[in-house]
This record gives sequence, structure tokens and C-alpha cells, in this order.
Amino acid sequence: MTTISKAAKGKSSSLLRKNIKKFVNNKLAMVGLIFMIIILFSAIFAPLLTQYEPAKIDLKAKSVAPNSEHLFGTDKLGRDLFSRILYGGRVSILVGVVGAFSGSLIGVVLGSIAGYFGKWTDMLLIRLSEVFQTFPQMILILIMVTILGPGLSNLLIIFSITGWMTTFRMVRNEFMALRGETYVKVAEAFGMSKSSVMFKQILPNVFSPVIVATTVNIAGFILSEAGLSFLGLGVPSSTPTWGNILNAAKSIEVISNYWWMWVIPGVVISIFVLAVNFFGDGLRDVLDPKQQ
Amino acid sequence: MLKFIIKKLLQMIPMLLVISLLVFIGLELTGIDPLSYMVSPDMAGSAENLERLREQMGLNDPLFTRYFRWVSEMLRGDFGYSIVSGTPISQIIAVRIPATIELALLALVFSTIIGVGIGIVSAIKQNGIIDYVGRVFAVVGQSIPQFFFGIILIQIFAVSMGWFPVGQRISPGGNWSRIQHLVLPVTTLTLSMCAVLMRYARNTMLDVMNSDYIKTARSKGIPEWKVIIKHGFRNAMRPVLVIICFRLPMLIGGSVVIESVFSWPGIGTIIASSVIAGDMPVIMVTTLMVAASILVASFLVDVFTALLDPRVRLGD
Repeated sequence: MTTISKAAKGKSSSLLRKNIKKFVNNKLAMVGLIFMIIILFSAIFAPLLTQYEPAKIDLKAKSVAPNSEHLFGTDKLGRDLFSRILYGGRVSILVGVVGAFSGSLIGVVLGSIAGYFGKWTDMLLIRLSEVFQTFPQMILILIMVTILGPGLSNLLIIFSITGWMTTFRMVRNEFMALRGETYVKVAEAFGMSKSSVMFKQILPNVFSPVIVATTVNIAGFILSEAGLSFLGLGVPSSTPTWGNILNAAKSIEVISNYWWMWVIPGVVISIFVLAVNFFGDGLRDVLDPKQQ
Repeated sequence: MLKFIIKKLLQMIPMLLVISLLVFIGLELTGIDPLSYMVSPDMAGSAENLERLREQMGLNDPLFTRYFRWVSEMLRGDFGYSIVSGTPISQIIAVRIPATIELALLALVFSTIIGVGIGIVSAIKQNGIIDYVGRVFAVVGQSIPQFFFGIILIQIFAVSMGWFPVGQRISPGGNWSRIQHLVLPVTTLTLSMCAVLMRYARNTMLDVMNSDYIKTARSKGIPEWKVIIKHGFRNAMRPVLVIICFRLPMLIGGSVVIESVFSWPGIGTIIASSVIAGDMPVIMVTTLMVAASILVASFLVDVFTALLDPRVRLGD
């Protein structure tokens, strides 16, 4: 366990060094990290890499196959696909990261409360999470889209509301197990406030699995956004995302005749998600060796 | 055992009530006039007629009264009408559910056989070739968007090779065409399900095979295949069953996108098209159906695991 309790703090730098070394030795995880960084940075620095505007329609260059001018070709409105994929990465990665982190935040807060206070608070929150889990995530997302409407900011809200349950369960179970430990009792006996006991004493012990789960969720949400935008219910296509670029592949005509319009964005999503998953696996090996 | 089943059944009722209440409130939140989906369009007629109907049907009653009336109508099989097409929702569901069940069930069966099979073989021969290939395949399978994989299959096997048809469930040609229509969507769903299942079955089996009672069984001189099947497999099955149940929502949720890719006329496509059209009553009833079927499935898994493992039913 990578406890960051006070006694271990002196050793933490060597533990950190050991963990980094372990991670660097994991080839797949390192490859994942490198690909993540490459794709992330090309999305961030998109304006330096392409001179095309992602939303600029050029009817003179409709459905052009990849060439030296348009590296990934153009779509049916003549928009440059290389530029759309770079700028689209910004939105897709943002949706994945913000959705996963805020989902984890909700999960951690509710999980700590449920696990620490127990009794009816716990029962109520457990039942709430069960209600959420009875709906398949995709359908839950679709219901929320109907109520709130599509669009980037609504998507972020929807992903955080629908993505907290696994973290909640994990944190709650860990809290249940640790609540009776001597060090918690001692902290309470010293008159430490409930919130400090919860968040300063117990929570650090749960951090490693939460980080791993968050990484997995980033990958999951990028896939969800892609699916949702593929259905035409995600972000409107004036703002490119990896998902809504792939929306073109809803027509069999595009699938048969314009491979670059769907193969390239599909491969980019797959590579990025694969990289995140390899990275997450590596993190799990280092942080959470119990559950591989 | 009977006590256990009854207890589990009773636990489902409040759950269903809460879910249906949430769904009902969601329907209210959208602010669509309930008359538009409660009355068959031919009955609606003029404005004063509508006003009289509203009074007659008690739409001016408080929320909870209306909620309980809605639930009792649903229990009697009256689900209301689609506000887009005017068709009774019960009729839509009756046509769509078999299509989705067919797809999901086949994918569940195939992915369980393949996923659990490969998972267990890779656990027994840990770090062997199957284990290595299986692990890579599992991560890759989890990373490719399901629908993208489906489109690749369409491009290769339907467009280029022309082996399988795309779209709909049956084309003229009888039962053979039915199977042809099923191949690509079932393959897509199966592969993405397999990835998770394989990984999980492998890890569970590894845990079991490293436990003390397996060592004891081996040291007693019991043949290895017997140890694997009688001691290992049986004990690894329970957590695997549970994860299969947890995957069920994913299977149905995943089918929303997959059904759209293959224009499969199931619950998934109707949910997706209703969300696009804003057909709130259809969305609510279908999602309620999905939630209810998941509750029933998890109930069955509970009963099944209790049969396999007495500790579960004696525990609490």
C-alpha cells in the first residue's frame, strides 16, 4: 500500500523513485504514455501544425482523398480532416478528462460520507447508486441528453452525473474497512473534526485505486462521447470532436466510397484510448498491485 | 432457499417504484402535454374536447395521484402513445423487444463461451502464447469504439465481399436470411463483451488456482484436470457469473449504438431515434422496460449464485 501517512513521509521520496522506476520498466505503459503525450500535444498545438480552420467549408475541395495538401483528405463539405481531428482531439480529450475527474470527485465525496457515517446515510447512498446502475450508462446518458439537450457543457454535466458509481463503491468499501482502525480511533479521540478524519486521515489510503479508476473512466468517456456523437446526439458538428467526425460513417455511401472520412478518425480514437488503457494498466501495477 | 427468493423478490419492488417515479418525474420535467401521448390521436379532436378529456382523465390532479394512476395503467398493459407516430407504445415494444433480446442473448452466450474459455485456458497456462495474445486482444478490444468495429465489419464483409446483408432483421429468403442478418451485429457485440470477460475470468481463475485448497487438492494426488474442473472452475464461476450480470446493462446500452450501426429494428434504435425526435413517452417507457429487465436479470443471477454457493443464501 502506498500510504502517505506521516511516518512514511520520510520514505516517500524513495518509494516514489521505486514506483517511477517500476513504471518506466513497463514497456507497454511507457508506449501508452508517449502516444498519449504526442496526441495530446498535437491537439493543444493544433494551430502550429495546420493552417486550415476546422470549421471552414470549402465547396471547391469536397471529399478530396488524402494528398500533400490535405494530409487526411477532406469531408463532404470540404473541411480539412487533419485539422478537424487535431481540434476535435481538444474537445474529446477535454470531455473524457473533465467527465472522469468530476465523476471521481462526486464518487469520492459520497463514498467517504457513506463509508464513514454508515447506517442510514450509507443505505440511502447505496440505494441511490443502485438506481443509477440499473440503467445502462449509455441509456442514462441518452435520457439526460433528452432532458438537458445536447451540447458540450451539458455533456460534461451528464458524464459527471453518470460516472460516479464505481468510485463511490470503491471508496465506500475502503472507508468501511478502515473506519475501525486504531489510527482513526486515535485521531477521533484527539478531537479531530469529522471532515479532517475523513479527508486527511482515511482518504489518502484510497487514492491509488481512485486514480486508476479515473484513468479507466477517461478512456470510457472518450468512447461514450464518440458513440453519442456518432448517433448525432453529442456535440454539434460546428465544433469538431472525434465522435462527430465519425458521424459521417452513418451513411453506407461514405463507408463504401470515402474510407478516409471514417477510418482515420476511428484509428485515432482507438490509438488514444488504447494508449490511455495501457497507461492505466501500468499505473495499476505500480499503485494497486492487489488487483491486477 | 424459498425464503431467499422471496426476500430478493420483495427487494425489487421498492427499486422498481423508485425508478418508475424518477422516470415519471423526468417526463414531467420536459413539460410535454400528457394528453398528447395518453390519448390516441383520432380521439383528440377539438380544443374543448381536449379540455373535457383533461378533466375526465384527472390530469389536473396532484403529481402523486397521477403517478399512481400511470403505474396502474402500465400494470394493465396500457403504456400510452408515441407523440411522433401516434402508435400505441405497447405495440412498438412488442415488435422491438424480441429483436433486441435475440441480439443480446446470442452475444451473451457466444461471449461467455469464448471469453470464459480463453480466460481459463490463459490462467492455466499463465504467460503462455494464448495468455499473451488474449491479454493484448482484451485491451485492444476495450479500446476500439464498438461502432467503429461494426463499421469495419460492414465495409469488409458486406460492402467489399458482399457476404452479408446490412440493415433490418429479415429480408425475403426465410430463416437463412435471418441468420445472415444476425452474423455481423452479433460478432460486433460479442467481441467487445469478450474483451472484458476474458480478462476477468483469467484473473479470477488465477486467484483460485493459487489458493490453499487447490494446493491441498494437488498434494492429495488428485489428477490435474480434476483439480482444474472440480476445484478450480467451480469456484471461479461464481464471481464470473456476477460480472456477466453486471455486463448485461453494458450489453443493452451498447446495443443502442450497435443497433443504429446495423439499422437493427430493436429497442436500441427506437431509443436513439426517439431521443433525436424528442418522443419522451417512448423513451421513458422503453428505458423503464430496460431497467426492469436488468433488475430481473440480476435477480436471476442472485438466485443462481445462491444455488452454486450456499454461503450467499445463508449469509444475510
